Amino acid sequence: MYKLLFAGLASFVLAGCSDQSWRTTDIGDIMPPLDFTLTNEEGETVHGEDYRGKATLVYFGYTFCPDVCPITLSRLGDTIRDLDDETRDNIQVLFISVDPSRDTPEVLKRYTDAFGPEFIGLSGEQAEIDAVTNRYRIAYEYGEENENGDYLVTHSSAVFAFDREGQAQFLMRDSHPVSDAEADIKRLASQGG
Amino acid sequence: MASNVFDVLNNRACRGLALGALALMLGTGVAQASTLEVSNARLSLLPGNTPGAGYFELANSGEETVTLVGAESPAFESVEMHVSSEHEGMAHMHAIESLDIAPGERIEFAPKGHHLMFMRRIEALSEGDKAEVVLEFSDEQRLPVTFDVVSPASL
Ligand SMILES: [Cu+2]
Repeated sequence: MYKLLFAGLASFVLAGCSDQSWRTTDIGDIMPPLDFTLTNEEGETVHGEDYRGKATLVYFGYTFCPDVCPITLSRLGDTIRDLDDETRDNIQVLFISVDPSRDTPEVLKRYTDAFGPEFIGLSGEQAEIDAVTNRYRIAYEYGEENENGDYLVTHSSAVFAFDREGQAQFLMRDSHPVSDAEADIKRLASQGG
Repeated sequence: MASNVFDVLNNRACRGLALGALALMLGTGVAQASTLEVSNARLSLLPGNTPGAGYFELANSGEETVTLVGAESPAFESVEMHVSSEHEGMAHMHAIESLDIAPGERIEFAPKGHHLMFMRRIEALSEGDKAEVVLEFSDEQRLPVTFDVVSPASL
């Protein structure tokens, strides 16, 4: 906790000195690079390094979520569609499902296709999901099943952004003005490399 | 409001006195429904068996509080009322049993707030279709509403 606080303070001070600061929350110094072992929409094992080479936005959710997840992804899609063609080719969105029992590769493929070609669904064994959520210090929690076997999942509401080398850059929340989130996404996707 | 009830009673009276009690009930429903107005009703649809979300505005221009207690649709096996909220970086969603709308009040079911959750599709639906939904109130009143089926990207 103390370490986290110190890291947060350090990044705040650094951000103040740097002309490279993001409008949303800078996580460059407090979050590790993009890394994981998960399963993609084709059922293949994939790793974080497979997604280097493009700016990457990461969101943790589940497809049985009718409101927050699709709205969050749609808004990211809107921002991405506003980019020019070349910049749009430099960005991808990883939707990491924390609900692997319902979110099979087939379900995730159909789901992410609804948002655009930049959207990629990933999930995996519970231990693999826990490794990623622990790495980015977020939590998720399953609700009780109802008589139909349906359950809700409480999950992180943040979108994490990484540069094309997989280095953590910024974190977006609903509390950030949309214009700030859009400006940061645009700048991240336009960064050369 | 009074003439409305009178009209209904009149019509029903032709069909026989036995229907009188029923007619009074229906009459009451019709009169009250005219004080409830739903607008901008949209059903955000996702592929496969993924649940959909319903958004709308509901205004109560009547003199009394009405209580929304649920909804149903022939297109889905079940419809629940939910609220999404954010707390300490976590997105939560929970079901609610009822929602009061005071006289003169206008409530909004909107993204990342109140929504209807449509589960297990019975009828095939696609963007551009209409979905029939009935809003249910605590006084047995039922308000039919036609929702436009849309993509979440349009919200
Ligand atoms: Cu819901």
